[in-house]
Parts: sequence; C-alpha cells; structure tokens
Amino acid sequence: MSADRYSRQSFLGADAEERIARCTIAIPGLGGGGSHIVQQLAHIGFQNYIIYDDDRVEESNLNRLVGAKAVDALAETSKLHLAKMMIYGLQPRARVQAFSCKWQERPEPLREGQIVIGCVDSYKGREELEIACRRYLMHYIDIGMDVHGKEPPVIGGQVILSSPGGYCLRCMGFLTDEKLAREAALYGNAGGRPQVVWPNGVLASTAVGLAVDLVTNWTRKGRSHAYLVYDGNAGTVQNSHTLRNLNAACDHYPTVEIGDPIMTEL
Amino acid sequence: MNILIKLTGLLHSQMLDDLRRRHPFAAERVGFASGRLGTLQDGGRLVLLTRYQSIPDDQYIDDPTVGARIGSEAITNAMQSAYFGRQAQEGVFHVHLHGHHGKTGMSHTDQREIPPLIPGFQSVGRQAPHGIIILSLDHGSVWVWLPGNKEAIKAASVATIGAPIGVFESGVSK
Repeated sequence: MSADRYSRQSFLGADAEERIARCTIAIPGLGGGGSHIVQQLAHIGFQNYIIYDDDRVEESNLNRLVGAKAVDALAETSKLHLAKMMIYGLQPRARVQAFSCKWQERPEPLREGQIVIGCVDSYKGREELEIACRRYLMHYIDIGMDVHGKEPPVIGGQVILSSPGGYCLRCMGFLTDEKLAREAALYGNAGGRPQVVWPNGVLASTAVGLAVDLVTNWTRKGRSHAYLVYDGNAGTVQNSHTLRNLNAACDHYPTVEIGDPIMTEL
Repeated sequence: MNILIKLTGLLHSQMLDDLRRRHPFAAERVGFASGRLGTLQDGGRLVLLTRYQSIPDDQYIDDPTVGARIGSEAITNAMQSAYFGRQAQEGVFHVHLHGHHGKTGMSHTDQREIPPLIPGFQSVGRQAPHGIIILSLDHGSVWVWLPGNKEAIKAASVATIGAPIGVFESGVSK
C-alpha cells in the first residue's frame, strides 16, 4: 500500500493506521445508516468487519442506500453483498465476517468486536444491542433518525456512545420503560418510517468520528459516553441537554452480568 | 481454539497503576484478576476480565532469587476468590508486569513458578477459566486454562475497551 494513502489523516496519530487496522468493528444493519458507515470505515482503513443484514435492495431504498444502483433493485442484490463490495473495493485484504441474518440469530461473531455501531430502527433493538455490548465488553454507538409532524416536517436524530462501565442509554435518558412499552403496543403497526440520505449521512459521519476517536483518542478526550442530538431542520448537532442530569455511576449493568449468562440453582 | 481476552480500559489502567508501584523489597508486584467466559463462534471462547485484586505489601516474601514471591495469605485470598467465584463461574488470573514496551511473554522463572498455581485454582473453581496475564507497558499476553483442561492455551489477542482501544495481538509487538 502506498505511504500516501493515509497521509491526509496523519493527524490521528503516529500509530493510528495500525490501531485502526487492528480494531474489529461490528455493524448490524446495512441500510441507510449502515451503508454510509461501512463506506467511511473502509476509506479510513478499518480491516476487520462483522456485518449483518438479511435484506435485499428494493426500489424504495435507492433514495438513500449508499452504493446501490438501479440495477441492484432490479436484481434484488443483497445489502450484505453491496457492503462487502464496498469494503473489498477499498480494502482488498479486509477480513469481513458477513451474515445474512439478524445479529440475534448469530450473536457469537458479534462478540469479537471492540465497537458495535447499531443502525437499528426500534428501541427494543437498541436495548438488545446495548445489553450484548455490556455483557461482552464492547463500545456501543447508536444512530437513529426520524421525521415528525407535517407543518413543517421536523427531522431529528441522535448519535449515542455507551461504553462498558460508563453511562448507558437509560442513564442518558434515551431509553425509558415508557418508550419501550409504547413501541411494544404498536408492534406490527408502525408503518414505514421516513428516511432520507442526508440526515443518515450526518449521523453516520458523526458515529464514525466517535469510532475513530475511540480507536485513536486523537481528540485526547478519552470519551466514555456521548449523546449528540441532530436537528435536521436547523442543520445542527449538539450535546443533549439530558447529559446535565448525569451524576451517579451507571447501575443498570452490574459487573455480575458480564459474560455468558449462568444458570443458578435457587 | 481461538481465545480472546477483553477488559475495560479502566481495569487495565487500574492493573498497571498498581503493578508499577515500587514495593519496599520485591523487585516487582503481583495481582489477581477475575475473569468469566463468553462463547464465540466455532467453539472459540472469550475471557472477560471483571475485577482486579491488589496484594498488600506485607503479603510478599523477601526472596531475591525471583522478582516477586507472595506468601500463603495472598495465595489463600486468591483461592477464596476462586471459591466465591464458583456460582458465577468466575476464575482467577495471576497478573504481573514486565516493565518494558512491546510484546512480552513468560520468562523461565515465570514458566517455573506460576503455572503450578493453576491446578489449585481449578480444584476450587472447576467450571471457571483460570490463567496467567503478563502485561508490558503497552502490550500483554494471556494463557488460559479452560475448565477441565490441563494445558494452557495462549490467547490470540487482548483487547482493552477504553479510549483509546488497545488490541494486543499475540505475536504482534505494540
């Protein structure tokens, strides 16, 4: 590989290229958000991927699925194949573990990761990923967007970092029992959510920025958590005001819940 | 078999901070970490380190022939950790530091002195993984005795999940 390839990102640190190449990153969900993320990670130099998606390209994906072409909708190309082509096109020596299923159907490979970037739609899906990340010691970066209202429509979204031992999605006020219960009540009746390419791009880029910082610590912040709120109408990304309420350490994921669950006699 | 080790960056720092402290007479320090198992694909195993137990100064024995020798009280405490870890299947890992940068491994003294501790831990905590962790200032190697195994398996990598993330691959320096 030419020494020039990463010359424009040398500010990340003298050993950043090695650190990035050694990191294993998992991306469950390769749709509007995940396709951006995979592309950016491959450009940056990540070599180890664990990717999941059981979906195929449809015409309605072409407004936002990075790498998809009209012919992919006609051919019903799998999103997994698109992601692999994107990675191998930029990193021919990459180690890609690709699974055409939901991560919950093959959870073991996910556990090899050091970072999981979740691009899932539901609160329940986020909670399940965070539980896995805490149990098997992985940083979890969540991204999500939604469009509310009509006059005018409001685009909102979030990027959240939850690290083992640090504040979790519940501590930061993003996940609540009420949200989970409301979602459960709507199960099967939620309808197709609005999705467009540019908010996904902002959120994915912000998530990748957090991931690169976790690997290289180029900002010297040593982050253990983040909750960034995207206002798509104003075009801003800001710290969530809920971070002001953080004080005591997270007690949602005690150390006793690390590792495989153990059956105990009562 | 593929074995990977993970611990938080905070726990890694805690170990290094403790092991780097000067002892009144011993040339190096020793500690014990607790670890649990996770399942990987194709029969691989994760060892997830959860806690670190420092050894008080007065539990060392003055023995200039080795870097550090710990006494019966320290060994008893480690055995108790293995005993109390039975329900959670949490094992005990002997930890010490080689104060250099880059890849590290067991010295001849380490090979002679430390592995004999493992059968004792296994006899108390049969369902748990036990082992040996040797850290350098920026790397680390781990040997794991899985439940029921008499031989150790060297972990393929050690990952510290903090900021920055550290991934110490077996055979790769730094």
